[in-house]
Amino acid sequence: MSTINTAAVDLFVAKAKPVTIQIKEVSSLSEALTLTLEICEQKPLGKLMLPVKDPDAPRKKTLAAPALAAESWDYLVKEGEKKGFEMIRDNLRQYLAGIDVAFSVATMGIADTATSVLESLSEDERLATMICETHVVALPKSKIVSDSYEAESYLRASMTKDRNFIAFVSGPSRTADIERVLTLGVHGPLELFVALINE
Amino acid sequence: MTTPTLQNYHGSLKQALGDDFLRQTLDNFAVQYRANRQLIFADVNEKGLIAEIAESKEASLDHLEELYAQFREQAAKKGITVHRAATAKEAQELVCQLAKDYDCKKIIKSKSMTAEEIHLNHALIEAGLEVTETDLGEWIIQLRHEGPSHMVMPAIHLSRYQVADVFTEATKTNQDSDISLLVKVARQELRAKFVEADMGISGANFAIAETGTFAICTNEGNGRLTTTLPRVHVAICGIDKLVPTLHDALRVIKVLPRNATAQAITTYVSWITGALECQRTGTGQEKKLHIIFLDNGRSDLIKDTKCRQALRCVRCGACANLCPVFRLVGGHRMGYVYIGAIGLILTYFFHGHERAKVLAQNCIGCETCKDICAAGIDLPTVIQEIRARLNEEYGSTMDSALLGKVLQNRKLFHTLLKFGKWAQLPVKKGRYIRHLPDIFAPYQGFRALPAIADKAFRDLWPSIKPPEAPGALKIGVFAGCAQDFIYPRHLKAAVDILARLKVNLEFPETQSCCGLPVQMMGQRQAAIATAKGNIEAFQPFAPDYIVTLCASCASHIKSHYADLLAKENLGEQVKAFTDKIIDFSSLLTDVLKVKPETFVNNQERVGYHYPCHLIRGLGVVEAPKTLLGMSGQYLPSQEEDSCCGFGGTYSMKFPEISGVILENKLKRFEEAGVTCLVTDCPGCFMQLDGGAQRKGGKLKVEHMSEFLARHLAK
Repeated sequence: MSTINTAAVDLFVAKAKPVTIQIKEVSSLSEALTLTLEICEQKPLGKLMLPVKDPDAPRKKTLAAPALAAESWDYLVKEGEKKGFEMIRDNLRQYLAGIDVAFSVATMGIADTATSVLESLSEDERLATMICETHVVALPKSKIVSDSYEAESYLRASMTKDRNFIAFVSGPSRTADIERVLTLGVHGPLELFVALINE
Repeated sequence: MTTPTLQNYHGSLKQALGDDFLRQTLDNFAVQYRANRQLIFADVNEKGLIAEIAESKEASLDHLEELYAQFREQAAKKGITVHRAATAKEAQELVCQLAKDYDCKKIIKSKSMTAEEIHLNHALIEAGLEVTETDLGEWIIQLRHEGPSHMVMPAIHLSRYQVADVFTEATKTNQDSDISLLVKVARQELRAKFVEADMGISGANFAIAETGTFAICTNEGNGRLTTTLPRVHVAICGIDKLVPTLHDALRVIKVLPRNATAQAITTYVSWITGALECQRTGTGQEKKLHIIFLDNGRSDLIKDTKCRQALRCVRCGACANLCPVFRLVGGHRMGYVYIGAIGLILTYFFHGHERAKVLAQNCIGCETCKDICAAGIDLPTVIQEIRARLNEEYGSTMDSALLGKVLQNRKLFHTLLKFGKWAQLPVKKGRYIRHLPDIFAPYQGFRALPAIADKAFRDLWPSIKPPEAPGALKIGVFAGCAQDFIYPRHLKAAVDILARLKVNLEFPETQSCCGLPVQMMGQRQAAIATAKGNIEAFQPFAPDYIVTLCASCASHIKSHYADLLAKENLGEQVKAFTDKIIDFSSLLTDVLKVKPETFVNNQERVGYHYPCHLIRGLGVVEAPKTLLGMSGQYLPSQEEDSCCGFGGTYSMKFPEISGVILENKLKRFEEAGVTCLVTDCPGCFMQLDGGAQRKGGKLKVEHMSEFLARHLAK
């Protein structure tokens, strides 16, 4: 599956906008990692959702990428630490007060709903993508299909094969429960970036 | 909890009508939702998808036991324990037992209507457990100790100030009423609850039999946290949530969020297949994962051929979104746990007949919900069926039983109507009845009521019957009681126009009421008797078409006669009769192909009110606009297809609601700048004309036939 369905990619980009997904174009996974580091650098230091002993003590920004392959992780850690970030790969339960940025790679994209499909067998990845303030998803353009029916055979195979936890993520966490006013970031991320990898 | 009586229900309605915030919120919502829904459905085949969902849901209901067995087998292989609870109490006990077995003290929940259905929180709290709702709206209403007022937006009835008060009390800290800050309060407060919780309870939008997967749709992401953080996860859903394949679930997802909140998809859809690692349990350990399938009357409902379609419901809440009654009084008066049209139905089946007795009366029958239901449920018809059963079970009120009896005897009915003409003399004032003391017509002051005409159409007919037109179409006139006895002038105008168009007209004298009023009241026998009488009346004339100027009669005959008369051995006669029924506007445009030259167009500024039974009941959209374009300057107005508040006997039963709907309706026509308002149904006419009269009579109201006759070229 290496060909890119450009119509589907265009549709994904068009549908992303109204649901406040921020689209970035990158040429490779390592460029997506660089982008993630930049996003982390530019965002304000995250707020903690649980009480801490010394709230005024200086804190580092936190960046987690639990399911990342070893080689990419090594690069990310090196660059992240240079920027003074605390880099997290596991034990996410120790960070439930919140982290700044989580990075994950989508296995598929569904264009007509601007959905990133995350398969997160690892609890750490599920947690990282929920307790972060900013979530960056890398999505290869070649993995984008037009609609959910086109993703169906792949998804069914995943569900049949073994245990799985698949998430369709189509925007930052949102609510309209108070006076129907749309507000982002109620439990999960306040913002969602999708880095479209040109491959 | 006490069971509502009609009297205290009226009290509660009055209170809701006085809640300006609620009214404004629901008004804004109805208007915005309608527009947004249209936009979001633009890129899918709405009607096609809904038909497919209906079909696949019906098929699932036929095979529910097999689906359950298959799900159970698949899920068990992947570490999920599957339970079945026959009753609400059994389900409550199961959850309490699981909490005990796994030594759980603190519980977090993501939104589940099934949990609401069985009042799970009460049971858990009674068992000494701490329960916290994590959906923002659910948390707010939990803190206020009340139930949801909408299935998707449970706290839609509350203002930011009320929420700020609730949060101030809950956090013991003064909270600002800024909405984004209030959301942050929830983020902060609930994070601690997520971390501490031993058990997470979720609902499930789908349970997919082929893989043992269940799925949860949320926008906030609380579903993902509830199912990940605690060491025990219990999902609870009705057995009706079982679907055979992933495809069935993906199909529903194409409609559910669009219909619920006009979103293409909810922000999160979590698909859970099997128990996964849970570090809270210990390194390399699995989460304890249980799913409970609730029956609570569903198995019996499947066997109930008339009402089982209610089990197709996907809980999108759309039947409340555009309901004219919900819009005025909110969900707490429009349901018990489940809200909106489906709420009236499910209350009867899940929460007892007693509790549904009063609620089931509060449907105006406008069919807006049926038109947009994600699963194609004919909600108004099921509600009427429930009323019929409630009447059989509890006995009907005096007036509805009396009407039922009278309508079964045409001669008696017509004699009474003619007698009414004399009886009303002391209170008659021109074409209207003077304002009656409340004892005769309580709370009807919002509109002028019409008087019975001096001469009924059936008595006029011999003198106005047009000459025969050899070889031309033969058209029967179905008068309907309102126009036969109260507004014969509508029919007379139609006769003038049809005579000009050279057709053969017949008026079979033995026809009677179409039977809709008694059907609405749940008087089934009377509805059957009148239907049969009408078919027999037209039989000898063999017309090509049967025209009626009443959209309600037409829609009732077309949609209900076949079902009502199924056991009467009338064979093809029923279909032959109902197929010939046509509304006046469509007869002119589609059959008689009337031309602009037929009319003199002096550009009168005319607006149109779509009768519910015309646009939704018969699907007629273009014909009236075409005719008004030929004979006047047609001005579109906001929500011209929303109900006028009449609803037949509804306006007598719930005048407080009917009056407000009418007021809003007339306001929109005034805003559009129309000087004459036209409609195609005597019921709507009675309501709109009565309201316009009360407002000083500046807005002229006419039936389509009157407007056209007035503009007929010489």
